[in-house]
Amino acid sequence: MEEDEIAGYVTAYLKKKGFTQTEKIFQEEFQTNKTNSSPLEPDIAKHILSFSQLESGPARFHDGYSRLRSWTHCSLDLYKHELLRVLYPVFIHCFMDLVAKGHVQEARHFFNTFREDHEMMHLRDLQKLEGVLSPTHLEEMEFAHSLRQSKFNIKICEYSYELLLQHLHSTQSTTILGIINEHINFQVTPGQPSSIVDDPEAVTLSGSSQDAANQINQKEIHWGLLEDSLEERLEKASSLLSDSEKGEGEAKEGETEENKKRPVEGGKQGASIKKVKKDKGGSATGKNTKAEVNTVSAAPRVKPELPMPIIPSEVEQSILEDLRNRVQLSSVALPSVSFYTFLNTHNGLSCSSISHDGSLVAGGFSDSSLKVWDMAKLGEQTASSLSQDENDTSQNPQMGQSGGGKRQYTLFQGHSGPVYAASFSPVGEFILSSSADSTIRLWSTTYNANLVCYKGHNYPVWDVQFSPVGHYFASSSHDRTARIWSMERIQPLRIMAGHLSDVDCVQWHANCNYIATGSSDKTVRLWDVQSGECVRVFVGHRSMILSLAMSPDGRYMASGGEDGTIMMWDLSSGRCLTPLIGHTSCVWSLAFSCEGSVLASGSADCSVKLWDVNTSTKVSRAEEKSGNASRLRSLKTLPTKSTPVYALRFSRRNLLFAGGALAKNG
Amino acid sequence: MSTVPKETIEVIAQSIGITNLSPDVAFALAPDLEYRIREIMQESIKCMRHSKRTILTADDVDSALALRNLEPIYGFTSNDPLRFKRAAGHKDLFYIDDKDVEFKDLIEAPLPKAPLDTSITSHWLAIEGVQPAIPENAPVEAPTEIRKSSEYKEDGIPVDIKLPVKHVITKELQLYFDKITELVLNKPASIPFRRALISLATDMGLHPLVPYFSRFVADEVAQNLHNLTLLFALMRLVRSILQNPHIHIELYLHQLMPPIITCVVAKRIGNRLSDNHWELRNFSVNLVASICKRFGNVYHNLQPRVTKTFLHAFLDPTKALPQHYGAIKGIAALGSRLVRLFILPNLEPYLLLLEPEMQPEKQRNETKRQEAWQVYGALLCAVGQCMHERAKIFSNLLSPSTRASSRPNGKAMIAMSSKRKASTENLMQQQQPPLKKLATDGPGGVVPMNSMSVDMQMQGSAGAFSTMMGVPNVGVSSMARQISNDNTMGREVGGQQSKVSSILAQAWKDDIDAGQLLSSVYELFGESLLSFIPKAEAGVFL
Repeated sequence: MEEDEIAGYVTAYLKKKGFTQTEKIFQEEFQTNKTNSSPLEPDIAKHILSFSQLESGPARFHDGYSRLRSWTHCSLDLYKHELLRVLYPVFIHCFMDLVAKGHVQEARHFFNTFREDHEMMHLRDLQKLEGVLSPTHLEEMEFAHSLRQSKFNIKICEYSYELLLQHLHSTQSTTILGIINEHINFQVTPGQPSSIVDDPEAVTLSGSSQDAANQINQKEIHWGLLEDSLEERLEKASSLLSDSEKGEGEAKEGETEENKKRPVEGGKQGASIKKVKKDKGGSATGKNTKAEVNTVSAAPRVKPELPMPIIPSEVEQSILEDLRNRVQLSSVALPSVSFYTFLNTHNGLSCSSISHDGSLVAGGFSDSSLKVWDMAKLGEQTASSLSQDENDTSQNPQMGQSGGGKRQYTLFQGHSGPVYAASFSPVGEFILSSSADSTIRLWSTTYNANLVCYKGHNYPVWDVQFSPVGHYFASSSHDRTARIWSMERIQPLRIMAGHLSDVDCVQWHANCNYIATGSSDKTVRLWDVQSGECVRVFVGHRSMILSLAMSPDGRYMASGGEDGTIMMWDLSSGRCLTPLIGHTSCVWSLAFSCEGSVLASGSADCSVKLWDVNTSTKVSRAEEKSGNASRLRSLKTLPTKSTPVYALRFSRRNLLFAGGALAKNG
Repeated sequence: MSTVPKETIEVIAQSIGITNLSPDVAFALAPDLEYRIREIMQESIKCMRHSKRTILTADDVDSALALRNLEPIYGFTSNDPLRFKRAAGHKDLFYIDDKDVEFKDLIEAPLPKAPLDTSITSHWLAIEGVQPAIPENAPVEAPTEIRKSSEYKEDGIPVDIKLPVKHVITKELQLYFDKITELVLNKPASIPFRRALISLATDMGLHPLVPYFSRFVADEVAQNLHNLTLLFALMRLVRSILQNPHIHIELYLHQLMPPIITCVVAKRIGNRLSDNHWELRNFSVNLVASICKRFGNVYHNLQPRVTKTFLHAFLDPTKALPQHYGAIKGIAALGSRLVRLFILPNLEPYLLLLEPEMQPEKQRNETKRQEAWQVYGALLCAVGQCMHERAKIFSNLLSPSTRASSRPNGKAMIAMSSKRKASTENLMQQQQPPLKKLATDGPGGVVPMNSMSVDMQMQGSAGAFSTMMGVPNVGVSSMARQISNDNTMGREVGGQQSKVSSILAQAWKDDIDAGQLLSSVYELFGESLLSFIPKAEAGVFL
């Protein structure tokens, strides 16, 4: 009897849903009405039947997904990788649906069955999701929440899309179809499927809405260098000099030697400008001709959006002196590296920072103290070796030794929590430190005293950085904001909010008009300092971002992640030029050389790596068209003796300073 | 369903005094507990990363709890990572290995040393991209470099490969080395130095320093031959290193042997006449002997080389007497067999050379005379020891008749042995060079002699004892007579002496009649030799 069947299904459904009362009433009514029941519409019967099938419990997720999975794995090789991309969003949404419906046990089972498929690409996400065990957790956890809210964008070719839909319809897997409709936004492109490695975004797309990111990335940014910078002044001076030299035909010996250097430097900058103009993209940076010196004037110069502090003339002189004596670095001329090793830190060193001339080294400790060493005064050897390369100690602030007596360092006490970051002002007379006590403190190395305590963040301040010109500084915190401050105000000037998780690191752009922030939400954002708006979102990292560096020409940015990958970004396009893979552990620190030809990275795997920036950018531009993954050239790996590298700093003369705490073996 | 079983919740509830926890509550709490733990771990990992660490510590968890406005967990404060122990019988169950500490012990214990204060050192990690080979830098690993270079070759970029040049020793060892060398150079007589020697002889873990020590010894010996005390200190250092059971010295013997041998056969040691360099020579000889004894059977060319050096010094009349002294001592120390092999055959001509040096009327120089007497003493000693051993070995074979019967015996056998003569003559020709060396200083007599002695041993089976004794006896003696007659040195060689020399000339043979040997030696040395011969055997001879 058909009606009995239907009644059976209905009761089963009610039972399953836990409507015990309704079920009872239904049973009663069914018994009473049995005799005088009118025959049901066959259509309705069918619907109810299919509905009951559809609601066959949590197993349908499991079945549906495993069917889709096996189908995908059996599909044509040409389209397979595109279809595989669909699996991950389906997987996590199946899981979250199961959790949301309260089938915790089944959800866990489902998750464990299939997690291996996605571990390689999305390990950290899976680790986060693994703990979600009740609907309330879904609500609470911002990551899950954002996943539920937003759609995945998947680029897929027309044929793959058809294949997928056909399969889903033919197998009647309505559950999966529902998920795909609800959470995936297909960007169907006509023609051939894209190559596997072409588009990393298509694979690593996270919950953040890519559309919004794209929209943000449309905004214009002026990444050019500041007008009237010291470098520019030097260029002008040198070009004037070389002009006069041409006229005179002869010049003094010392000057000619200097002139040999300057055209190279000018050429570098000229070449970097050419990179901007894509129509001239073919020119190689290596070919520095004198003709290019003249193109310096064509460099994009931007006006500072902030009122700039005035640099004292003697400081300016010393900087100019440094610039003149700068060693030119390239893939064949590698820098010298001076390594500062912290001893007896008892696992307490949580950050270190080196001043721009390498003479001061600061260490932030988990016992809330900040210690500053004056390397010029430490030991004869150091001093002599330093004075050879950085013989201009007159620029160093004459720091009075503290009353600590035998102590080699100056102890700054004031924080009430681990000091997570420290930053020297460009000249070296101030240090900023940020701490877990949610404050930032400004210290004077001249008076060895705390000057200001900046309170504004509500949670530990992970990072603080002085701007390249000093006076302004940026901070980033666990409260998911980054803030811009000036030394003279105790309130922040700007608050940058938008990251979905902790803001772990912050870095200034060379022209001071932008700051970049790296976050635990695996994105890097670029913010306009003046407006406080986010102007770029860089998506592509697969782990939290620990370090950032801006190229001196203002065009590129490097970011280092927890998993050891470094990514090189083009600021104007917002695209990743190339991932630099080589480190095996957290990249704590990154630094560009002063003319931007070498990138240094320091890592927890106890090594400093030097990368050739020119090759990487050049190659990637060439390969952008050919559609191949670009590869950056690692110039050199400098292993330390079990010392993780915490800090890196190129001096103005291109001597690389590195710092780290000696780790105990075993 | 969750990794936290609900039993855990029940146990926790009981531990805080809730006894009537319903199973439903436990069931609901378990997944939430897991979620909270994961949440805290996520925050702790953030704190760990920002402390620039890769190992999670209790501090990180406390910081994470603070972030959530929770009270930290007390009692786990430590900067070091916790040490977990695996529970026996479980694969994935760990616990913290906490020891019970008695308050009494804790209170009575002396205050621990204050931890060292943080400091900074600086060094060059790289100079223009090249890592200098200094102790602060990690040793360069050749294989990875090579692998990388091949990687780069694809790019067509030249990469220079730096092979490992560094030998890393720890700071402690460096300090140790510096201290020891300082003691050797400055205070060789002090008590600390004596202690240092004991430490060198017993301590483990000094092996990395051995190349440095051997280098040090070699350098210092080469430069300071005039400084007797320093040389002595160095030799004592070597002895201590040799004594150390944890050091594999054999790898560095090639470096250590030259300085030691130098101390044995150096022409001039010490700059004052009063310097007792004989003692140093004796000391060093003992070192050489012990080395040869220990490693001689492992390194086959060790002893021949040492012997060759000594023999060279011994057989060269132009060398100074102290050198001869050292050489004789050295050969003697290497065993009586070598004495028989090298010294006895040359004993007579050598004594002829030595004699004038010892007599006051012929050698005016007091020092030279003293030296000659020392050499004589050494020679006597060597021969005497040799004879002592022979006497002991052959005491059962000896009989008064041997001496008398030996010669007729030999004569009677001449005919019989004629066929053997060819070979004997052959041997004799080989024997000649060492004899001639006295005059000509011909090199390289050692190896053929060695091989010859082996030959003879092979032939000299027990059955052929008497034959062997007789035949070469005569053959050699006649040959020796010829030689001595031919001797251009124009020395007067009497019949008696020629007999002595002929007997001595064949002293290298294992089975030579000890009695004859003794008598001839006795003729050379006189009564003084008798003190080396055990009373019983001596009685037999005389």
